[in-house]
Amino acid sequence: MRAFGRYAGPATLILSSLAEGSKHGYALTKDIEEFADVRLAPGTLYEALSRLEGQGLIEALESDDRRRPYRLTATGAEVLRVHLSAQRRVADLGLRRLARGWKPA
Amino acid sequence: MKKERAASGRQAGRLLRWYPKQWRSRYGAEFLELLDAEIREHPWSWRRNLDVTWHGLSARLTSAGLTRHATESDAQAGARLASAGCALAAFLAFGASMWAQLAIGWRWSEPDTRATYTAMFVMSIAMLLVCTLLVMGAIPVAWRVVKAVAHGNSRFLVGPSSLFLVGASVLVIGSRHFENGWPGTGGHPWSAQGLVPGGVAAFAWASTLWISSYWAHPQVLVHFPAAEVAWMVLSPIATVCAVVGGAKAIRRLELPHRILHFEMQLARVACVAMLALLVGSASWTTDGGPGPHDLFRAGGIDIAALGVMSASLAVAYLAVRRARPALAGS
Repeated sequence: MRAFGRYAGPATLILSSLAEGSKHGYALTKDIEEFADVRLAPGTLYEALSRLEGQGLIEALESDDRRRPYRLTATGAEVLRVHLSAQRRVADLGLRRLARGWKPA
Repeated sequence: MKKERAASGRQAGRLLRWYPKQWRSRYGAEFLELLDAEIREHPWSWRRNLDVTWHGLSARLTSAGLTRHATESDAQAGARLASAGCALAAFLAFGASMWAQLAIGWRWSEPDTRATYTAMFVMSIAMLLVCTLLVMGAIPVAWRVVKAVAHGNSRFLVGPSSLFLVGASVLVIGSRHFENGWPGTGGHPWSAQGLVPGGVAAFAWASTLWISSYWAHPQVLVHFPAAEVAWMVLSPIATVCAVVGGAKAIRRLELPHRILHFEMQLARVACVAMLALLVGSASWTTDGGPGPHDLFRAGGIDIAALGVMSASLAVAYLAVRRARPALAGS
């Protein structure tokens, strides 16, 4: 995820959404809003989609409709797994330290 | 309901125009669908409009090779080269207008300050270097165009090449015609005096005649010969045609890697020469003084020219700098 730079946030959300199955732009926006309470604006969403596609982490599927769905690639799944595991380690550590003895000053 | 759909479709279409053609051809249809759905859900949203505008402009910069891209390619490097070329052309036009002003002034009387002397030497050497690099860079591109024509594979080059040839021809023929209108440049008793040949200075003056403060003084401009005013309008259009045609040809040619590498090396040296020209121009503008008979007086147009030259140099440097890792890596 280091390569995403400032796009790490939208990229994680998009990859996590696609981990459930292929989705087109509007379905992605709705799903992300539902599970993360974040509404990705259209420009931000497509900036991230084009970058992820360029990096081979997602791929566009053929569609008769104008709404083209995207799917997570094997590389994308692996990158997401590594990134989320690292995030979980940080989250677990923070929670443990909080539970161990943080007191208000 | 139908009316609402049509209105949202129109708004989505307007927003899509912020994106470059290349991007639109890949993502346009699906992006329109998303925008249409978003607009029907939230008809007015400043956040959405700003977001699309911002990312559209960002996509345009990426398409011009001025930002980093996730996947670098030779096409990306070609776009960067085209942008650097456009920036160099803008720089050269404004730089040449200042340089021609000094060169022609010198034919009438020598400058009386060290700053103008030094500036003129630096600017002349830098101009010579930039023009030499431009010719060196144009040769491989022209050769590729000729090769494409010879192989009967040039349909995609017809538009840009025609635009370039028409623009360049009008510029050269017109400048050759109007260069004779300046009394200090041809056959004048003092024409032997000066740092550069009178004809060269006059050509540079005539081709950049439109870079003038007279636009701000229409009451003076109306007393100019009509042909000269027409040339002041036509010559920038011809310049833009030549530059846009050349840039489009570079992008469509898909130059091989080794040529791109060579062109970028030239562009890097050109950036140094541009910096020298800018420093020389700035030194004259700030320190030169009016000189004898006000021949070397810098005016508001010269300050504006310095601004354009600085911006052009920044764009050229950005394009060249961004291309470095891509070309070195492959």
